[in-house]
Formats: sequence, structure tokens, C-alpha cells
Amino acid sequence: MVDLIISTVTQGFIYALLSYGIYITYKILDFPDLTVDGSFPLGAAVTALLLVKGGNPYLTLLAALAAGALAGLVTGIIHVCFKVRDLLAGIITMTALFSINLQIAGSNLAVGRDVATLFTAEPVKTLFGSLSLLQRKLIVSFFLMLLVKLLLDLYFKTKNGLLLRAAGDNEVLVTSLAKDKGKVKILGLVIANALVALCGCLVCHEQRSFSATMGTGQMVFGLATVIIGTTIFKKEGFVKGTTAAVAGSVIYKICIQIAISLGLPANLLKLVTAVLFLVILVVGNRQKGGGRANA
Amino acid sequence: MKKTVKRVVCAVAAAVMVFGGAACGKKEVPVIGISQYGEHSSLDNCRNGFLKGLEDAGLKEGTDYSVDYQNAGFDDNICTQIGQNFSAKNVALMCGIATNAATACFAAAEDKDIPVIFTAISDPVEAKLDKGNITGTSDKLPIEAQLDLIRKLQPDAKTIGILYTTSEPNSVSAIKEYQEKAGAYGFTIEALGVTAQSEVTQATDTLISKKVDCFSNLTDNNVVGVLSSVLEKTNEAGIPVYGSEIEQVVKGCVAAAGIDYYELGRQTGAMAAKVLKGEAKTSEIPYETITEYGIYINSGAITEMGITVPEDVAEKAIEAQEE
Repeated sequence: MVDLIISTVTQGFIYALLSYGIYITYKILDFPDLTVDGSFPLGAAVTALLLVKGGNPYLTLLAALAAGALAGLVTGIIHVCFKVRDLLAGIITMTALFSINLQIAGSNLAVGRDVATLFTAEPVKTLFGSLSLLQRKLIVSFFLMLLVKLLLDLYFKTKNGLLLRAAGDNEVLVTSLAKDKGKVKILGLVIANALVALCGCLVCHEQRSFSATMGTGQMVFGLATVIIGTTIFKKEGFVKGTTAAVAGSVIYKICIQIAISLGLPANLLKLVTAVLFLVILVVGNRQKGGGRANA
Repeated sequence: MKKTVKRVVCAVAAAVMVFGGAACGKKEVPVIGISQYGEHSSLDNCRNGFLKGLEDAGLKEGTDYSVDYQNAGFDDNICTQIGQNFSAKNVALMCGIATNAATACFAAAEDKDIPVIFTAISDPVEAKLDKGNITGTSDKLPIEAQLDLIRKLQPDAKTIGILYTTSEPNSVSAIKEYQEKAGAYGFTIEALGVTAQSEVTQATDTLISKKVDCFSNLTDNNVVGVLSSVLEKTNEAGIPVYGSEIEQVVKGCVAAAGIDYYELGRQTGAMAAKVLKGEAKTSEIPYETITEYGIYINSGAITEMGITVPEDVAEKAIEAQEE
């Protein structure tokens, strides 16, 4: 019982990294970024390859960040410089990444149990060696989730971060400040996809495997978490977007775990999950007094 | 803010009740957690065979074990959470059907070292599922038998067209083996990769236009999933399609040298029974590859394609047709 809560919340923390990325593109930049379905497995592919080749587990974090940033950069350039529509720009990169990921890691790449991951390598081993693997996973993912959240919150307060936020709300303002809104958008996509790939990296450490299909539906998942998170905290103006993203991600994973735990016929799993989401969104909207469809 | 806190507390309480209820609801019999990657007739056969294997070993559901069956609907994230669910419930044994489900179970089982049994995996070594507290059965295709069968049914055929999904590891390794062994039987392989199910019908047209003499199927989930629409096109073009297991022949392929997934599941169930009874440990049982295969034919489709079945094949063949 406690184990189930720990592992479910851990999943929520890990996928919060992806939710941050979607929060930046979807909520801040108003950019439906489908690159995510490709940059997520990209992070995992790079990670799996490095781990199998005996690379340092911490190095994989940087490698995944860099690979994801590059993917975001490509989408940004396609959109801004070649004036391709936002959705299509993401689709192009995602499609290309499918092949690139296969080139990097093949259709499946497993990391054996004898290879040290983030959760079993030093210094985590020395610091938390007495704890179970389950608890170590929770601690490491919580730490990463919190670190990225704090860094993002700080960044949003800088001049550059404010420009990013302005680019989605009011492009004219950015231009009137004599700034190039295109560059700002590209920067947003770079940060977002770097975080998404970081999430893929962590998932690869946790699952000890990469599969080419693991990216399918991640964009939809991310959208759902961001919408759930922001709906719940809509009235609480001081709750940061990043906090909402974490909450959305954890709630989403809890919903799926509830659906699994209910013991209903296995084929009804997705239906149950969908109903749970609907209930959360409807209740969230109702309690705000208005029936406005924000979600 | 207060309201929000209240709501969050309520939600957590509700979740705790649901989780708790699920955890307490079961009696004290050992639980077998079955995680199946998706809804698929071969995988279903595997699961049913697995349960039969347990039954054949003298174990009774309800008194000796109970089953917690979950289906991930081809979603890797759900596989992960299903594995964690089993681990949290301290199941006695996890059974992963197909690579992604088994990998997720194995990852979730690492902490508590829960035994894992897999089935329907072509290459357990490459999937790193060959070492540790894990064992199972592999569904590697009998490719040479299939090539031999095609040669006997179509003595003049030169090229075999194969559709496969580039992201399915089972398919990729099967294609490699086809290409290595086809020469010995006088065939060349025309393999065409797709990335999604929606591309399969288009790829079928491409292969037909390349004038292949026949199609041979793998156990590729994407291709098998739309087999009917592939067959519609090939039947129109008069090109026979060979399956890779009985279900595909039932659906209208002319013939197949393939494994019986029900049998594969039964073999897996027998292994699971040994583990449950404490007769052997999963870490000590090596994984098994099915060596037996059956020849299945669909007489209706055979006649339509104008193929004559030689005596020696007809003797061994099992008729597989939809009633």
C-alpha cells in the first residue's frame, strides 16, 4: 500500500519534468509542440546508449538535455525561419526523430541490471544505500523535480524569462521592446524539449530500457497534466505554473493507478482513466463558480 | 486556498481508500500478476495457454493461486504502472506477455526481487531478460521451416515480400534472419518497413507493384492488426500471403509454418507452476525456445490462389479455417 503510493508519486515526479516542458510551450508560448513525442524517446535513446557503453550515469543527464535542446532548436528554426505552422513544424521534427532514435539505439535497447543507474550509482548509493530502491527512486526524482522547478521559477523572473512569458501573451510587446520574438520562441522550444528529453532520460534509468514507441502519446499526456494542474489551482493566483505542472502529473499517475487497482476488466482501463479525468476537470471548474470551459 | 487544500486532502483520502481496498480485498493465496502488452489474438492465446499450463500442473485458481490480469493497451507508461502495482501488492510471481510488458515487470520487480516469467519474446538475450530472477519462453519464428514451406507450395517463386514495423525489435531481427537464410532456398527478400499501422496498406500496394511472388508475415503487431485489409489487396492481385501462426491462417492466409501461441503459453504456465510450488527458482531455470512448430493451411485460400499442396506437406498440415 505504502509502496504503491511511493511508486506512483515517483512516476508523477519523473513525468513532472515533461509537464514543465509542455507548460512552457503550451501555456506560456501558446505553441502546440508535437516535437515532444520524438524528443522524449530521444532522451531515453541517448541515455540507454551511453549506459550500455559504460558511460557515467550523471553524464546521461547532460547528454539528454543537450539532445533535447537540439531537437527543440530544429523545430524552432523550422517554424521561425522557414515559416512553417507550429503544429507542422513539430510533426516534422517528431517524424525525423523517429528514425534518428532508431539509428541511435535500435528498436529496443535494454540496460542490464548490472549497470549502475542514477538510483544505484554513487553518491546516491552511499547517501541512501540503506533505503530500498523504491525509496531511492522517490528521493532522486523528487530532488530533480524540485531542482528544475526552482531553476525555472528563478528563470521566469529574469528579464529573459519575462520576455519569454510576453512572447505567448503579447507578441507586439516583445517587438515594441525591440526584441526578436522569433528568437524568444526558439529559446522556449529549446528549454522545453531539453526538459522533455531529461524526462525521457530519467524514465530510461528507471525502466532500464528504451523502446522506439515510448514517445507515443507523451504530448497528449503532458497537455492533460498541465490542464489538470492549472484547472485545480486556477483561483490560487500565487500558485506557480510549475507547481501546477507537478500536481497535474502526480494526479494523472494516481488516476491511472486507481484505474489499475480497481480490478475492473483490463480492457476498461483507458475508459476508467478518461472518466476520472473528466470528473477532476468538471469538479475543478464547478467549484470556481463559473462553467466557463477553460480546459 | 483552504478549499483547494481540502479538495487535495479529499482526493488523497479517496485514493488511499481505493488503493487500500484493492490491497485488502484479496485472500491469502499467492497472486500471479499478468501484464499483457495489448489486445491481440496471439497474446490472448498466450495468456489462456498460460492459465491452462498452471491448471495442468495441478494448481487450482482460487485455492492455490489467484490471477490479477492487466492489459496495457500497447502503452509503455501503463506497463510501468502495472508492474509497480504488482510489486506493491507483493505478488508471488509476475508474468509479462510481450517484450515491453516483461521489461516493465522486471524493472518493477528489481527492488523486491519478485520472480518474473515472460512469454512471447523473440530475443530474451537482447532484451536483457536472460539473467536474474527471470525466465520464460521465447517465440522465435521457425523461419527456415517457413521458407521450406513456401518453396514446396510455390516451386517457381523468386521473391518474398515482407512488411514489418521498423520499431518492433522482433520484426527487425526476423527480417535479418530471413535475409540470411533466403538464399539457401533460392529466394530474395523484398522487405518494406513501416513506422505506423496507417502506413501498412500503402506499403502493401508498393510491394504488389514490385511484383513479389508472395507475402510472408511476421508476428508484427502493426501488420497483423490490419491483416484483413492487406489480404483484400493481395487477393485482388492474386498474390498468396503466408502467415506466421495459426490465427493468421484462420483469417485468410494460405498457409503458415508457425508456433502455436496457446502451446507456448502452456509451456510458460508449466514453468510458473514449478516456481509457485517451490520446485525450482526462476533464476535457475533457463529460458526456453519452442522448437516444435505446426504447418497450418487454409484450403479455401489455397484453392483460390491455384496452389497445389504436395503430399508430404498435406500429411503434416493442420486445416485452419474460419467456421
